[in-house]
Amino acid sequence: MDIMIIHRQDDVIHFLVEGIDVAFANALRRTMLTRVPAMAIDEVLVLENTSVMYDEILAHRLGLIPLITDLESYNLPQDCDCEGKGCSLCQCTLTLEKESGSEDVVVYSGDLVSQDPKVNPSTGEIPLVKLAPNQRLIIEAYARLGTGLENAKFQPVSTVAYKYVPIVEVDKDKCTKCEACVEVCPKKIFVIDKDTLATQNTLDCTMCELCVQECEPGAITIGSKNDAFLFKVESSGALAPEAIVENAADTLKKRIRVSLDFVGKL
Amino acid sequence: MIIPIRCFTCGKLVADKFDQFKRQVRQGEDPAVVLDNLGLHRYCCRRMLLSHIDIIDSFMAFATTEVVEGK
Ligand SMILES: [Zn+2]
Ligand SMILES: [Zn+2]
Repeated sequence: MDIMIIHRQDDVIHFLVEGIDVAFANALRRTMLTRVPAMAIDEVLVLENTSVMYDEILAHRLGLIPLITDLESYNLPQDCDCEGKGCSLCQCTLTLEKESGSEDVVVYSGDLVSQDPKVNPSTGEIPLVKLAPNQRLIIEAYARLGTGLENAKFQPVSTVAYKYVPIVEVDKDKCTKCEACVEVCPKKIFVIDKDTLATQNTLDCTMCELCVQECEPGAITIGSKNDAFLFKVESSGALAPEAIVENAADTLKKRIRVSLDFVGKL
Repeated sequence: MIIPIRCFTCGKLVADKFDQFKRQVRQGEDPAVVLDNLGLHRYCCRRMLLSHIDIIDSFMAFATTEVVEGK
């Protein structure tokens, strides 16, 4: 199995994996979605809320805020010594106090004050609610680790997708250089280079086969490799994208070991 | 009521981008270009900002806390 990183940004990673089959690629994808733990607000104590928004909507909005997760210093509640009751090893308290004076105030995620400086909203610019003059908000929120299996808010990723590696082939003898494919391709794969049809950035090809339909002489064929996959992992901001992939690979390995041990005992 | 925190379909964070989107579109920029620059490439996320109407300001006109009781 070979992995090549194609592109990496703060919250997205694109990589190519060679030498695996669909089953493995999908197992990795699903592990990233449902088994990698991330922090999210799970319980909210509303001490005062005179805003126009119901407590429930506010609590729901708080739950969706991606929190920067420190996997090293927190336990999943079910694995914690406190047996899920909630202690400093599995829970983090965030408080929010905001009062509007004589003018409208927007409450942002950045107004949340965390007990642990490492656990904070990934961005402070999420508007939570707007307060009219003389309205007040006092909230205590408890964040914990969880997995996507329980609730989608715990997913550390927004999208994880993989696709086959496309192979775009042009038969130079059949091609009449009509440039129909150059026009029609939404990803601009085809270029006319010194009177011959050439291809560029073929990894961007979505295999829509519009070029195949447009090509009168039938000079273009689109195929795919069946043992290589292009992954795109987009983090919600809770964890770094490469940390998500690493963690998912470890989790998958552990789970496969468990099932092998079980099969061995039969 | 107020901009949803995440995209309904894919779960990408969209709320933090709404202020900038609104500001730039009001200045006359092309919404498609603004969305591209904000990193919202999928149409599920793009519709979140494009189709949103903030009505919290209309609700706030009916706020009942002009005078706080007991104060
Ligand atoms: Zn605990
Ligand atoms: Zn989306």
